[in-house]
Amino acid sequence: MKTAETIFEDGGHKWIAIVRDPKRPPYIIDTNEYLIVQDDDAILCDPGGSEIFPAVFSALSAEFDPSRIRALFSSHQDPDIISSLSMWVEFNPDIKCYLSWLWAGFVSHFGGTEQTFVVIPDAGMDIFVGGLRLQAIPAHYLHSSGNLHLYDPKARILFSGDVGAALLPPGEEGLFVENFDHHIQHAEGFHRRWMGSEKAKRDWCERVSRLEIDLLCPQHGAIYRGEDVGRFIDWFANLEVGILKS
Amino acid sequence: MTTTNQRGQQLRQIVRINEEIKKVIATAFTINLMAMNAIFLAKRAGTAALGFGVLSNELRRFAIDLQKQMANLSEMTYESVSTVTALLKQARLNRTLETTLDVCSGLGKGLVKHALDSRLNGILADRQEQSDAVNRRLSQMIADTVQLVELGSVLARSAKIEAAYGGNLSVSLTQVSSDFEQSISEIQGSLEKLTKHHFEESAA
Repeated sequence: MKTAETIFEDGGHKWIAIVRDPKRPPYIIDTNEYLIVQDDDAILCDPGGSEIFPAVFSALSAEFDPSRIRALFSSHQDPDIISSLSMWVEFNPDIKCYLSWLWAGFVSHFGGTEQTFVVIPDAGMDIFVGGLRLQAIPAHYLHSSGNLHLYDPKARILFSGDVGAALLPPGEEGLFVENFDHHIQHAEGFHRRWMGSEKAKRDWCERVSRLEIDLLCPQHGAIYRGEDVGRFIDWFANLEVGILKS
Repeated sequence: MTTTNQRGQQLRQIVRINEEIKKVIATAFTINLMAMNAIFLAKRAGTAALGFGVLSNELRRFAIDLQKQMANLSEMTYESVSTVTALLKQARLNRTLETTLDVCSGLGKGLVKHALDSRLNGILADRQEQSDAVNRRLSQMIADTVQLVELGSVLARSAKIEAAYGGNLSVSLTQVSSDFEQSISEIQGSLEKLTKHHFEESAA
């Protein structure tokens, strides 16, 4: 089963990371889910695939009443991000799924109704959770053509989807990046191959470097904190992406 | 309890049933053309082939009825695909939630149990019942079709007997009636396969 780790807490405002499942079958990529709580309200970022729903739901319910999750945030359309949608709708038929306008008609194949989807324009938008203002910010073409990240200015945390993701080898699966130079080798191949646009990457790095970020939370791998956030943005800015390298 | 694999097997059997239906429809179309040809032949043979002409008309009517029956059967298999697919989807959802129930503790466990007991197990049972009902209707329709084709077989045999009295066109009429017999025999072969697939689907 996955574990739920509180990575930020300030009164009723929390970020809970749902991470690492030792029982996960090896053919399924490991994912991180993040629950942002404000008092009695919560939004779940990239709730994951249907195959891992039991692990996510169980870990999450140890920390929070799952019936109080009002919304899902889907950074993009991939199955490891949102194919569990129909399960979440079972528990709360009124649940909302925030995602790029580009993908609403596609993700609806995973479940939900017309009322489920709240489409986010290309420029992004604010999402309110229990009075807390979160910002969906554009990350298009990183890697998906309709891609968004979620920034919490109060907690100074950026949920960065696949940006910052690393495929960690066994034994190096810590929650946080401890040694940036060592860690980044596990992220390099992934970013080179998956991130398809130099222009989109430079634009993202320029915009994100102006945000105050204490934690950069990717959907796969370890969380960057403190100075490693800036290190990562600089590293990414200088990385050649969109190439097929043997 | 029916497993996902067995339901997948049901879908595969429905595909095979559909393939046999397509074959029967094509053969029925051929019988229709053959019967039209036979009617002209009988007219040419005159009063000697009156009986053959009547039977050819009946065979043509049989071919049209069979085409209609197979179109209905095809629609029924489409309905069967829909109900089995809905059943598969619901079964998958319930199975995932049963796994969740096994691994879950705290608040979530109660929520999952409530969802399964109060709603989802009931929906799954309903879906199963719908699928069973479609299956029963499909069985009845296949049995009706077998009976219809049996009638066609009798007509073809009678046509063969009548062909012997066809005067100077007797050889041609015998050939046509043999073709009828051959085509109906092919249909019977397809129906046997179709019945077997349906039996296997129902047993899955």
